[in-house]
Amino acid sequence: MNQEQIKTLIDALAASDLAQLEYSENGSTLRLFKQAALESLAADTSATNGPPSASPEAAASSSSTDCLAPLYGVLHLQPSPGEPSFVQAGQSVAAGQTLCVIEAMKVFNEVRAERDGTVAAVLAVSGQEVEAGQPLFRFA
Amino acid sequence: MFDTVLIANRGEIALRIQRACRGLGLKNVVVHSEADRDASYVAQADQALCIGPAAPGSSYLNQSAILFAAEVSGAQAIHPGYGFLSENAGFAERVEQAGLTFIGPSAACIRTMGDKVSAKRAMRRAGVPCVPGPDEGLPEAPEAILALAREVGYPVIVKAAGGGGGRGMRVVHEESALLDAMALTREEARLAFGNPEVYIEKFLLHPRHIEIQVLADSHGRAIWLGSRDCSMQRRHQKVIEEAPAPGIDEALLAEVGERCAAACRQIGYCGVGTFEFLYEKGAFFFIEMNTRLQVEHPVTEVTSGIDIVQQQLRMARGETLTIAQADVRSQGHAFECRINAEHPRTFAPSPGRITRWQVPGGFGVRVDSHANAGYLVAPYYDSMIAKLIVHGATRADALDRMRLALAELHIEGIATNVPLHRDLMRDDGFEAGGVDIHHLERWLEDRAAA
Repeated sequence: MNQEQIKTLIDALAASDLAQLEYSENGSTLRLFKQAALESLAADTSATNGPPSASPEAAASSSSTDCLAPLYGVLHLQPSPGEPSFVQAGQSVAAGQTLCVIEAMKVFNEVRAERDGTVAAVLAVSGQEVEAGQPLFRFA
Repeated sequence: MFDTVLIANRGEIALRIQRACRGLGLKNVVVHSEADRDASYVAQADQALCIGPAAPGSSYLNQSAILFAAEVSGAQAIHPGYGFLSENAGFAERVEQAGLTFIGPSAACIRTMGDKVSAKRAMRRAGVPCVPGPDEGLPEAPEAILALAREVGYPVIVKAAGGGGGRGMRVVHEESALLDAMALTREEARLAFGNPEVYIEKFLLHPRHIEIQVLADSHGRAIWLGSRDCSMQRRHQKVIEEAPAPGIDEALLAEVGERCAAACRQIGYCGVGTFEFLYEKGAFFFIEMNTRLQVEHPVTEVTSGIDIVQQQLRMARGETLTIAQADVRSQGHAFECRINAEHPRTFAPSPGRITRWQVPGGFGVRVDSHANAGYLVAPYYDSMIAKLIVHGATRADALDRMRLALAELHIEGIATNVPLHRDLMRDDGFEAGGVDIHHLERWLEDRAAA
């Protein structure tokens, strides 16, 4: 990759409606970001920076009152974008009530409350990957 | 003429297309999402470009990003694979407008065959046998609808013109339920496909799913490459496929195959495609055409000796079809098992890290897969992680080979449906051949009850 090529790519990105561009050739990789895209990227780097590995800290801190993710997938705290969350911190829930949805391979798996109780805290972020066994909600 | 192909897909089919490009001396550009950056075929690409985040809507379905990737990489052709944008007429049009080659039929062909009512009309015109029922949308007047259904005879199936792949349909057994079922299907179709048109057909009770693979050039030549039986389905998803379809009269098959090839010539079809039929009591009924490469193409490759993906690329390059119909042979028998990352009993998806990956090999065994030990099966995409294909001198020989191959296949770290395939290879009905499309679901129900 020479300077000329890199300049061409920068111009091409600038002239497009894309937010970022990655280009690999002969083992070297160039990643270009538009300024605005960089700011939003910083917010979700943890989600996109490779696969999550089982998090020992999270597992160690999980208590018996936590609701854990039954499988690895993408967490959705709302039924669909723009709608209110299934549950919020401080809310009391009944056994069998839907708490969240974990999406894996085009299948939406509902996670339901095992017993009546009050949600003390929401421990994971919507739209991000969660590991099987990762705590999702803490119950009071 | 193009010498660089952009592969707008992922997983095993991206690798399959990459191999076909290499075989023809073509360069390949792989576009990938952030979730697929570590895939083997990405590392092996002549060029690789990340086109967005993991979610398909932001990457593999992002038409602007893919077209832009073609522009900056210098690729002059785009192979859409299967799924994603492969049957999107609008995308095919944008590729052509950008001065690039869409590796597939024209946007007009995709549009005609994508609308099931217009597809049926085109097939009737070409003399391809169709399911009894009118080849036009249902009228508005309730009396006219009831009269049409009476003529077809119950049970009937109400289908969305914009549907396909098992979506947007409803079976009606008696007249009193028809109007409600029609209204529901119309509303679902309007929401799901943006097209409220529905039509009715005779509902067949115990059909098999049999399909014909076709290959056509851009100079008016078309041939058919053989039959496949894909009756082993669960929820309209194929689980096991085989070639040729067992127990079908050869003269009848040849007649239907020739009609399919003739239909390609008539509608100006170019590339590879599949005509899907229901088969019941010795008769074929057209249901839909897939205007793309299919998952199960390898069973036809190994029985015909023809590299279907290489042929597809050559047809897109404008070459003349050099295989004559008389040269197309079907030798021996082949099976394909779709290996999915899902629980073998509950079918719950099982994404995660593969810790052991030991695949079978030897004479007559082929594994098409992008996975390996250490590979992370992402939760964003389809659950298929490999295709195991075997070829034998006879159906019984191929079945034996599949049993041995499945015994050699060991995947750990995630759950897979390998144990299910092992059990199915011991099922008497499947072993006898020629089961209907409900066989697998009945088998699963029986097992659950046992």
